[in-house]
Amino acid sequence: MYEAVHARPDGDATAARHAATAAQYGYEGVVVRTREALEPVGNAGGSGSGGGAVGDRSPEAAALRKEYGIDAVDAVEIDADDATSASGAVGNYRPERTVVCVVGGDDGLNRFAVEEPRVDVLVRPMDGSGDFNHVLAKAARDNGVHVEFDLGPLFRATGGKRVRALADLRKLREIATYYDAPHVVSANPRSHLQLRAPREVVAAAEAVGFDAEWVREGLRAWGEIAARNRERRSEAFIEPGVRRGRYEEDG
Amino acid sequence: MKHLPKHLRPRWRYLAVGIETWPDADLGRRAFQRALWYAAGNLLGDAGSADADLTLLSFSHADGEGEAIVRARHGHVDDARAVIGCVSEVDDDPVGIRVRGISGTVRACEERYMGRAGGSSTQRDVAFEGAERSAVVRGDARDVRTESGYVGAARFDTE
Repeated sequence: MYEAVHARPDGDATAARHAATAAQYGYEGVVVRTREALEPVGNAGGSGSGGGAVGDRSPEAAALRKEYGIDAVDAVEIDADDATSASGAVGNYRPERTVVCVVGGDDGLNRFAVEEPRVDVLVRPMDGSGDFNHVLAKAARDNGVHVEFDLGPLFRATGGKRVRALADLRKLREIATYYDAPHVVSANPRSHLQLRAPREVVAAAEAVGFDAEWVREGLRAWGEIAARNRERRSEAFIEPGVRRGRYEEDG
Repeated sequence: MKHLPKHLRPRWRYLAVGIETWPDADLGRRAFQRALWYAAGNLLGDAGSADADLTLLSFSHADGEGEAIVRARHGHVDDARAVIGCVSEVDDDPVGIRVRGISGTVRACEERYMGRAGGSSTQRDVAFEGAERSAVVRGDARDVRTESGYVGAARFDTE
């Protein structure tokens, strides 16, 4: 299971501290959403041929993986004002990051994110004025864009704010499960103190009506996205369904 | 009052809870118990929190690290775990919290899960983000003091 964290400068803990805490809590990996937290491209070129973590280009993520024994994934959260600038940013970051997320929270951005197959995850779709409906759910399913369920308010908000966030989560859940849109689950921790172990996340989500196995699936989905994208970037991958096989070496 | 026959006594589970805070936080037992009950009330409602019980049996905290034993009614352990996860701050101090394990007796709980503090903490200067800063060092963790409060770092960042 993976957790997607906000590292410094976006949060109060560095990527390494998140990784250390997550390893202790029993996660298999962390997805670092903050653009500035991990050095992006090491220009390592053909490092993918050495086996191990193929197609990953962030040397710092690789060092973290070695140090703490859990996976570290370099990701980016694109927080744009409108769909046009988000589109430009997706084009820029797609080649250099393993996971690309778009911050939702307004109808235009939500619509853009689910209709763009180059986007991996639409995060925090219900924030602010954002809303979700059957059209977006179908588009997310068809384009393979994961919809994030942000459990942050469940753990950290109180009162009316929490009630509204939980009501939004329920609405999102009903729509997304009906259309089988892919989903991810995260508590959006901004420091190592906000990180919660997987069993606590599952228990808390279960208490507000989520299905336990469905939540675990959502936590695992981050890892699946990272693995898929790494495979696509690796040298053996040519196009969907075509990969370099063992016969090529003879030629 | 005469105590109950054995089959009528409530059955308990004891949850060993690990706590982490910033080094300057000062957590009290009463404050933590209050936070726990508020979290239970908010998440499960009055009925649910009465069922789960969630009494604090032992508590210790110093230098940004602590541990506690929380009693929960048998059969409400999942609720208790959810509530414990939802304790995000105690008296405005943010806390990191985790259930280390669950036992059927206090003694087993203490023997298996308690007393695993990450070692003593020391104060020293570390190189962080291109400057020399004072930090509290505990095992691999380094809580670095900056202008905007503490920052959680690790040995990886300061070497």
